[in-house]
Amino acid sequence: MIMRGQKRKLPLEDEEVPDRTSPNWETQRQFVFSVSLSKYQRSQELVEPSLRRSVLIANTLRQVSLGDCGSPSADEETEQPACSSSSALQVTEQESISTGDSAGGSPMGSLNYASNCASSSSPASPSSESNVPMSVEDEDEDWGSMSTDSDLELSAAISSILTALESPIDGSPQAAPRTPLRSLENLSGPSEGGVSWVKQGSRDCGVSWEQQEEEDCRVSVSSMEAMGSSYLSDLTVEDLFQDIDMSLLEGDMGVLGLMSGGGGYPAGDDLLQYLPPFSPSLSSSHPFSISLNPSHKCLPSFSTFSPLSSSTSSALSLATSSPFSGQNLVREGFELENLLEILVES
Amino acid sequence: MLSPIQVLCSDITTLSLEPEPFASYTEADIISTVEFNHTGELLATGDKGGRVVIFQREPESKTEPFSQGEYNVYSTFQSHEPEFDYLKSLEIEEKINKIRWLPQQNAAHFLLSTNDKTIKLWKVSERDKRPEGYNLKDEEGRIKDISTVTSLQVPVLKPMDLMVEVSPRRVFANAHTYHVNSISVNSDYETYMSADDLRINLWHLDITDRSFNIVDIKPVNMEDLTEVITAAEFHPHHCNLFVYSSSKGTLRLCDMREAALCDKHSKLFEEPEDPSARSFFSEIISSVSDVKFSHSGRYLLTRDYLTAKVWDLNMESKPLETYQVHDYLRSKLCSLYENDCIFDKFECAWNGSDSVIMTGAYNNFFRMFDRNTKRDVTLEASRESSKPRAVLKPRRVCAAGGKRRKDDISVDSLDFTKKILHTAWHPTENIIAIAATNNLYIFQDKLNSEMH
Repeated sequence: MIMRGQKRKLPLEDEEVPDRTSPNWETQRQFVFSVSLSKYQRSQELVEPSLRRSVLIANTLRQVSLGDCGSPSADEETEQPACSSSSALQVTEQESISTGDSAGGSPMGSLNYASNCASSSSPASPSSESNVPMSVEDEDEDWGSMSTDSDLELSAAISSILTALESPIDGSPQAAPRTPLRSLENLSGPSEGGVSWVKQGSRDCGVSWEQQEEEDCRVSVSSMEAMGSSYLSDLTVEDLFQDIDMSLLEGDMGVLGLMSGGGGYPAGDDLLQYLPPFSPSLSSSHPFSISLNPSHKCLPSFSTFSPLSSSTSSALSLATSSPFSGQNLVREGFELENLLEILVES
Repeated sequence: MLSPIQVLCSDITTLSLEPEPFASYTEADIISTVEFNHTGELLATGDKGGRVVIFQREPESKTEPFSQGEYNVYSTFQSHEPEFDYLKSLEIEEKINKIRWLPQQNAAHFLLSTNDKTIKLWKVSERDKRPEGYNLKDEEGRIKDISTVTSLQVPVLKPMDLMVEVSPRRVFANAHTYHVNSISVNSDYETYMSADDLRINLWHLDITDRSFNIVDIKPVNMEDLTEVITAAEFHPHHCNLFVYSSSKGTLRLCDMREAALCDKHSKLFEEPEDPSARSFFSEIISSVSDVKFSHSGRYLLTRDYLTAKVWDLNMESKPLETYQVHDYLRSKLCSLYENDCIFDKFECAWNGSDSVIMTGAYNNFFRMFDRNTKRDVTLEASRESSKPRAVLKPRRVCAAGGKRRKDDISVDSLDFTKKILHTAWHPTENIIAIAATNNLYIFQDKLNSEMH
């Protein structure tokens, strides 16, 4: 039965039209995301990873995390990840979103890619502002792959807010002073730690923060400390902190914006265990979408997130005068908890 | 003149093959680059083990008209050795990424070969005479006992068996932080450029201790990096123009007269994306793996994962022609991404008259497209189908489940480990060199040979 407002699905073999509500597309997206992640981490272990390959994988990861507006090509080889793993993936995406780290923030590239998504006719050259709406809409998608129609009004409102937000972010005068470590491009090698995996997701989803690297790192650490106790109970904050420090020492590969390490992926799996158990229904959570719409009061809570602390918040957040104010962060942490509870309840 | 494609379809003759390899080849034998010199007399190949093998074409023989034009090994030498970067604790591969010949100016031949970091200029010269009759040394080179020398003689040059000597004349090192992917000799025959992932340097052939950086796309913050340089080439006639391609599918034509640093392009060639064909892999498959100027200098040939495109230098908005190399892979991108095949970098080539383009594919297939007649052919470079003097028959790939003719290959049975990444076309004649993993195949247009 076709739900009201849902797009009528064409037979998959003939499909050329982008259809983001298709479960096939969603599973393919999940698949590409996980494959890209493992590829990137594995490439760090190689003799000297190819920069071209790393950049292409990183761009694909960003695109997938943003929620692509592309067409799901009829692909027989698309694996069907288990429902629980897909929901776990979504959960970890959200986890990574809320972890709030970003040593260096998500680069312009993610915005570039969003621009590729949205204005399909435009060439690949970056143009940030106009395409945030698309990323916003896609961010909604991340939250339980809701039907796009139900979020259109929401995303329209958010997008207008976000475009207003864009200039302050881009024009942020807080050009981070370069740490000496960053210039040591020669230092490379895998960074250990599970949270590095998580950080990737957040960076993928984020809006550009190219000027905010070091502040991001410090603030993200503090925000993690605030939120750490709530759901990352089994992971000590020190571990997280250690990972961030290591990430600063990353070579060229690492500072591509996707930290990883040889041990990153397996540790990431460990991280999955620690997350609150989300029900599989998350992936097809119409109940969730319904609950989100009336509860607009949740959104203002996002607005006070510092932009760097989560990708979703970047998509949804309103203008904050001082993105790095410490006081907000604790509040944000609790608000995030509220959101997570909502997710659990659904 | 017969259209080359028409002839090649039915009459491709195998000229010569590498000697029978062992059943299991070593990875060091994988050929990584193939290049004819400017006359086509010499063919150089580089492999993963850092070796360069040069083949020479046998001159025409009147007694055996059909054996003319065979390529035989001329010289083999070790160009690059594996190195270790102590600062990064990383190995530097000795794999030869590119070989480019210099135009011949005297009896010796010169070529540039490069691995990931270092470019070397090699001199290849012949020696067919040697001096004999030394006073102080005997024939074996041992010093004579002076007391036995009773009279003096003048050494005389006597003919000897031909010896090919290869010596490194220049080593251009320490100029690249990232992996060198292209080198290109300028038409001024004095300079050349080397391109790595983020920078392009201009060298003078005689000066090894410095180079000029002419393109730098490295962002201030490496985390902002989303695009790398994938190939670069000088214009064949205009020594101030060069083009470089990127991983995002763009080509940039730069004029060195405009500025010392050519970060700002003169022309940007980019095809707008087709929104209906968008997928997760759109960017990866749009990454240009090779760019070649036509011999005329008017056109550009680019290769991305699924297509080969011909661009007119005067039209930046879209390519002049697009050729589908293996579009049947479009629905398989997900698994090709998983097994890394989507990152394969195929090269492309023009024929001497710029009327036919050629590029490689999987399953040891390679494709040729005639730009004028719009006909194309798929051929296979394999041991079974390439006995000497054999005629290659065209191959066909059919979609899985589609109507299948005899001898067709189904998409699902393609061997993705057999990829033809490196191909070269003789500068004037219809002779092509195909590198299939560790084997080199040289094919000639049969009609061409029969005319002699």
